[in-house]
Amino acid sequence: MIQKPLLFIVLLTAPFAARAQVDTVRASTLPGPQLAEKAYNSGLASFQAQSYPAALRSFDQAIAAKPDFAAAYTNRAATRFELKEYSQAQADYDQALKLEPGNYAGYFGRARAQEAQNHLTEAEQDYSEAVKAKPDYAPAWYNRGVLRFEKGDYQAARDDFDGALKADPKLAYAYHDRASTQQKLGNFAAATQDYTQALALQPDLLPALLNRATTERRTGQLPQALKDYDAYLAKKSDNALAFNNRGNARFENKDYAGAIADFTQAIKLDAKYAYAWNNRAAAQLKLEKYAEAAADASEALKLKADYAEAYLNRGHAREMLRQADEACQDWRKAAELGLKVGNDYAAAAGCAGEATE
Amino acid sequence: MLLRLFFLLLASAALPAAAQSIAFTKDNFGDNKEGLREANRELKDGDTEYNADPARYAQALPHFLAAQQFNPNNAGLNVKIGDCYLHSSTKTAALPYLQKAAKLDATADARTHFLLARALHLSGKWREALAEYQQAQPVGGNTRNGSAETLTANDLQRYMQQCRTGQQLAARPVRVFIDNAGPELNSADSDYGPVVSADESTILITSRRTGSTGGKKDPEGNGFFEDIYQASWQGKKWSRATNLGTPVNTDDHNATVGLAPDGQRMLVYVGTNGGDLLEANLAGSAWTKPKQLGSRINTKYHESSASYSPDGRWLYFVSDRQEGSLGGSDIYKVDMEGRTQPVNLGSAINTAYGEEGVFMAPDGKTLYFSSEGHNSMGGYDIFKSVFENGKWGEPENLGWPINTPDDDVFFVTSASGRHGYYSSDRPGGLGAKDIYRITFLGPEKPPVLSEEDQLLASRLNPVKQTVLAPAVAVATAQVTILKGTVTDDATKQPLDAAIDLIDNASGQTIATFRSNATSGKYLVSLPSGTNYGIVVRQDGYLFHSENFDLPAGAAYAEVVKDIPLKKLEVGTTIVLRNIFFDTGKASLRPESTAELERLQKLLTETPALKLEMAGHTDDVGEAAKNQDLSQRRAQAVVLYLTQHGIAAARLTAAGYGETQPVAPNTTKAGRQLNRRTEFKVTAK
Repeated sequence: MIQKPLLFIVLLTAPFAARAQVDTVRASTLPGPQLAEKAYNSGLASFQAQSYPAALRSFDQAIAAKPDFAAAYTNRAATRFELKEYSQAQADYDQALKLEPGNYAGYFGRARAQEAQNHLTEAEQDYSEAVKAKPDYAPAWYNRGVLRFEKGDYQAARDDFDGALKADPKLAYAYHDRASTQQKLGNFAAATQDYTQALALQPDLLPALLNRATTERRTGQLPQALKDYDAYLAKKSDNALAFNNRGNARFENKDYAGAIADFTQAIKLDAKYAYAWNNRAAAQLKLEKYAEAAADASEALKLKADYAEAYLNRGHAREMLRQADEACQDWRKAAELGLKVGNDYAAAAGCAGEATE
Repeated sequence: MLLRLFFLLLASAALPAAAQSIAFTKDNFGDNKEGLREANRELKDGDTEYNADPARYAQALPHFLAAQQFNPNNAGLNVKIGDCYLHSSTKTAALPYLQKAAKLDATADARTHFLLARALHLSGKWREALAEYQQAQPVGGNTRNGSAETLTANDLQRYMQQCRTGQQLAARPVRVFIDNAGPELNSADSDYGPVVSADESTILITSRRTGSTGGKKDPEGNGFFEDIYQASWQGKKWSRATNLGTPVNTDDHNATVGLAPDGQRMLVYVGTNGGDLLEANLAGSAWTKPKQLGSRINTKYHESSASYSPDGRWLYFVSDRQEGSLGGSDIYKVDMEGRTQPVNLGSAINTAYGEEGVFMAPDGKTLYFSSEGHNSMGGYDIFKSVFENGKWGEPENLGWPINTPDDDVFFVTSASGRHGYYSSDRPGGLGAKDIYRITFLGPEKPPVLSEEDQLLASRLNPVKQTVLAPAVAVATAQVTILKGTVTDDATKQPLDAAIDLIDNASGQTIATFRSNATSGKYLVSLPSGTNYGIVVRQDGYLFHSENFDLPAGAAYAEVVKDIPLKKLEVGTTIVLRNIFFDTGKASLRPESTAELERLQKLLTETPALKLEMAGHTDDVGEAAKNQDLSQRRAQAVVLYLTQHGIAAARLTAAGYGETQPVAPNTTKAGRQLNRRTEFKVTAK
């Protein structure tokens, strides 16, 4: 069997050298390097068709045929990422970078694999390497910005989103997230402007409406905020969070009945949404519906046992329901969970016992 | 009973359309002369009390009510009843009678409007009261049964201002619970004047309840003479109040007005000498006999209430003494141990109207007092003022619903400021004035809301960011493998045949292979980039011609072609695959040369051989044209051969057009096979 392919190789390399006296051959038996590349390309096609297991098999074959095939490692890593095999993906990116140092795709891919494993410092380092290797690659800037945002380094995050927008001025996500960093940095006007730009570039980027509403609320532009919430909910009416936040805006607008309607809708969409229960309790308090307020706050506490705000609100409700001891317990508990004002309320109400530290 | 019901029906039927006052006359009640007589007697008795100087409203009221039961629709009587109630401890009861009187008498006089205004005012109906006060104007003085009543325009203005204040204060009520102190402290009779120790462990109250020491009753119908009672806090409620007994309580009025913060000293009011203040001490568990506070404090005037400073050195007290007064009763301060005279607290606290019920809070700087002046909403309201930077701050009305349009007096607080105590005859009590406990809730406790944001777009809607290495060029062999078996067409036996590989472009034979002698198998590798002519030949057989035109870049392919070689027999047909014409023409292309030469050679080597050259087309185009083209092409081959030395007699040309297809014309491959040049052996 070994002789046959050898013979064929001879045929291919010197086809006309002699009169062939052959029995039979397998003409499709191609040499090694072609097999690797063919398998690689096949893997790529499978990946693009989202047939990740098939892609993985093909890249395995490619690497088996050609162990120094850097691109095959890169793409096998990408395949493993899609299959959520993050540590193996990372190992493949390691190998790809060993074979082809300085390749931005390797750094970027490995950063994503690190991020998926919550190795955030390593991820940030790799994004930095990717940015260094290819400064005009916006996603690397953007992703590093996201990581820096999440660790609270808003200034650096904003710089990264600037970098992303320099590399790709049409990147709506970068405008959106830069707006969010501006919001965190207290630059509400700039935030509103960036959210608006994100919406101009990508009108279906609905979170920009929600977040713009937040910045508008912060700057006292309640009517505009309510308009943005309305626009959002007209397009997407299945988001409990949006109803909850519009409810809060209505609460700020002293439209307590409207707020209750929104919180009720949020609860209808997600009965386990503790925030909506708590907030409805708050609105009930304003309408002096103390029994309803206490019941709603209790429901919030069933869902989130360490919910300081719900304890505080229930304390208020119980005070008005003449359940002084229970109110005291709730205020103290709220203080214990971090809302120190609970101790002040307890003290003013003449609650017995020591304040919680 | 039936008769009474009849009257009630009559009365109510008479009212709605055009309400009219019904006089107590035979014309109206001729069918109930006895009842009329009785009602008139009640009216007369009532009037006797009502018109007395001073009027005895409490005594008049039962008579009027009895008469009103007989005839509810007499305007004048309803006014009198309202008036009596307005002079009682249940003033708001006046309102329905006065409202009825106004309905019965559309021409009600200014006094009736004034009384109705008062009833509305005292009921907290600010807007309606203002309207009635307007109608009471501009009367500067009214008369009742000949007795002069003074009601100045200034009084009316003040009442109206009180209504406006009431409207404002009621619009933003203070957050308090006002709870009746319960049956432990309150009775069916008047209970008032609470004083508490700083820690709220002890309370002393004044009561006119049954069981008063000496058992005397107030001649004005206000219950028994006052006695002082004491109770202690039991954790959730007060213990039952007990009469302090002698020596504190006597046959006369004994009322508590103040208690030291530590509960060891008590200030007592006695009705003697126009009203004086005394002090008792707690010796163990018993109070000593109250002693006079001395002439600096007690005068011939009315000293009515007092409060210790927290350190016990100072006494704040109320007196209507004339000397140094700003009007009505005022609040004074005196050093209890010193010799100096009391000092009026000044115009920041005292007004031209009455001040009453002074209480210094345990913090030593917050003074609570009642006043008819300042911005009262009616009668005495409770105010507080804080002494800071050497002066008293502007008194602050404690607000609605602590204060009401009626008198609100004798307010005290605990040291914590969490609770206050006062007396009120508000509805829902146990009878007459009751003691109430106020729980101050402070400013509204703001509810807290929670919300979250989705600040990162990619976290909410992740986007694909995969960076893939691109496809690589695969080093695919650009070669066509031609393989198969050469056999004898007749016997099907494998043949050892020669396979010539010819480059049609040059006409050169590139290489010659041989099929396996035993199996007849062959394999030829044809690199792309050449128009190959392949000729399979063996002696004694007609050659077999194949064409493979493989342009540069043609991908790897594998073609299996079994070749049956035919012997030279008459009738045998051979397809000449390597004869090429220009498209649609009969002109031979240069690449045909090798094949034509091969044919010439065959004819030369076999002199007896005669051939028919046949042309065939596919079915594209008109059949006649195809026929013509095939004929001309066959002739072109014959012409070539004759021009190259082959006798024309050995050759014939036949054009078959599209009539003899070897494959369906439905495919490109089929049409290609049908476009062919053949020869047929006609003789050998």
